[in-house]
Amino acid sequence: MSSVAFRAVSKRFGHVEAVRELTLDVPDGELMVLVGPSGSGKTTALRMLAGLEAVDSGEIEIDGRVVNDVAPRARDVAMVFQDYALYPQMTVRDNMAFGLRRRRLPRGEIVRRVTETCRTLGLSDLLDRRPRELSGGQQQRVALGRALVREPSVLLMDEPLSNLDAALRGQARGEIRRLQREVGTTTVYVTHDQVEALTLGDRIAVMNEGRLEQVGTPEQLYDEPANVFVGGFIGSPPMSFLRRDGELLGVRPEHVRPWHEGLLGPIEGRVAYVEALGRETLVGVDVERDARLVTVIEGRARIEVGDPLRLGLVEEGVRRFPA
Amino acid sequence: MIDRREQVLAHVVLGVFALIALAPVVRIVLGTGSLATAWDDGNFSTSLRTSAIVTVSVVLVSGVLSILAGYAFGLMRFRGEQVLFYVIVLGLTIPMEAIVVPLYYDLREAGLTDTYWALILPQAALSTAFGTFWMRAFFRSVPRSLIEAARLDGSSSWMTLWRVVLPLGRPAVLTMVVLVFMWTWNEFLLALVMVSDESLRTAPLGLAFFQGRNTSDEGLLMAGALIVAAPVVVVYLFLQRHFIRGMLSGAVKG
Repeated sequence: MSSVAFRAVSKRFGHVEAVRELTLDVPDGELMVLVGPSGSGKTTALRMLAGLEAVDSGEIEIDGRVVNDVAPRARDVAMVFQDYALYPQMTVRDNMAFGLRRRRLPRGEIVRRVTETCRTLGLSDLLDRRPRELSGGQQQRVALGRALVREPSVLLMDEPLSNLDAALRGQARGEIRRLQREVGTTTVYVTHDQVEALTLGDRIAVMNEGRLEQVGTPEQLYDEPANVFVGGFIGSPPMSFLRRDGELLGVRPEHVRPWHEGLLGPIEGRVAYVEALGRETLVGVDVERDARLVTVIEGRARIEVGDPLRLGLVEEGVRRFPA
Repeated sequence: MIDRREQVLAHVVLGVFALIALAPVVRIVLGTGSLATAWDDGNFSTSLRTSAIVTVSVVLVSGVLSILAGYAFGLMRFRGEQVLFYVIVLGLTIPMEAIVVPLYYDLREAGLTDTYWALILPQAALSTAFGTFWMRAFFRSVPRSLIEAARLDGSSSWMTLWRVVLPLGRPAVLTMVVLVFMWTWNEFLLALVMVSDESLRTAPLGLAFFQGRNTSDEGLLMAGALIVAAPVVVVYLFLQRHFIRGMLSGAVKG
């Protein structure tokens, strides 16, 4: 196992600065999630770590060794690709054994590792099937197994769940978390889905337009976003913003309540939308020009679009940003 | 969906055309000894052997070179890549008629006329131009992540080509083989100019024997044509499924 470090790493594609001066430490055994919208540079950062893209400036270290000029196969990293990239002509067994054979491991060791990994991932009955004979979920597990069976120093995952349906994605998320904790491999996981980031990561690095906006635990990012971008990106629904006395206030839906004494306010507005989610109802309220607060009401709300509503903010839930 | 009436109609139309095409062939095969006579008169035992040696050599040499060059141009980035590719593809635009005279003098200078080399080398070179173009298109269609996965798995470029990428390209390779086989087998002008030795004549040249002053027997000419065409038909029949798949995938993926 190994630690990973980006030291002021930059990458440019023509006129586009894909990654700008990225500095990030991933300690041994941590699951670090790189999250951000498309074009934020998260996948480029991952590919540079894998050695699939050259670094323009800065240094990447794996276990203290600078790997800028080390070939991908010599970095001892394994990667799960978004499209799984399973070898179509090979069986599940051969897909998993391919990397071990290239590393000239003894035959017995290859068989042991493949058998063990397949048992852990529930793939034992699928060993002789080819990728096209597997469902999406099974292919995803084979891709994960192919990476894990190598027992790499660093495991890289590039949006590995984006091709699965919602139900399967939730299940696979739990499985990845469990396996990563079991094997303890340092993992860098790229996703654009902030729910995935919050549920999977030991820590999360939020990226935007090639820049690192904030690094922290899911709780830190949710409770104390460093800036408006992080507040607006992390959380579902995201933080609401409104201007007050030259400041930009950010507030989570659970800290927006119907007005009563003791809250900040009152804030008058009209209901813009009502989303009944069963156990709770999300209500969007237009409170001023360009500002909409979202509040959560337990159960079903007897409220209609266009109704006037008076709201207040829970003081300790309010974050203040420079306007 | 095609209904039953349309299906029957299609079969009838195809059947009539098959009958028109096959009737002369059947007549030749059943004809009294015309195949055997054509075989002896056209000296096909020798010319077919020459054609086979030349065609197999050209297919092998240009096949291997095309796969390697197509892999490099399709998946590797190197200085001068585009210029070099266009230089190679230029070979596709040059007809044999335009180069056959200077080629004859060059090969005569090198002492290669009236040898197998005079037939193999020019055709292998021209076929490699096509093959490189063809295989590059295939390699470009392979998902990049597959090659990257192989690299991370510890595979060298060589191993990635033979173990990961090429097994996926069977239709593309076999299509190239069929096309190069047909073009080489049917090549007439080069063999006519480069070879005067009777023992090095290719099968299409043998066919020329039945036309002109030596003979005017139409039956023998048709029997000779059948003998010359047979290997191409056999190769096509063996590889037709892959050939059609290769042509279609080429058409769809560009």
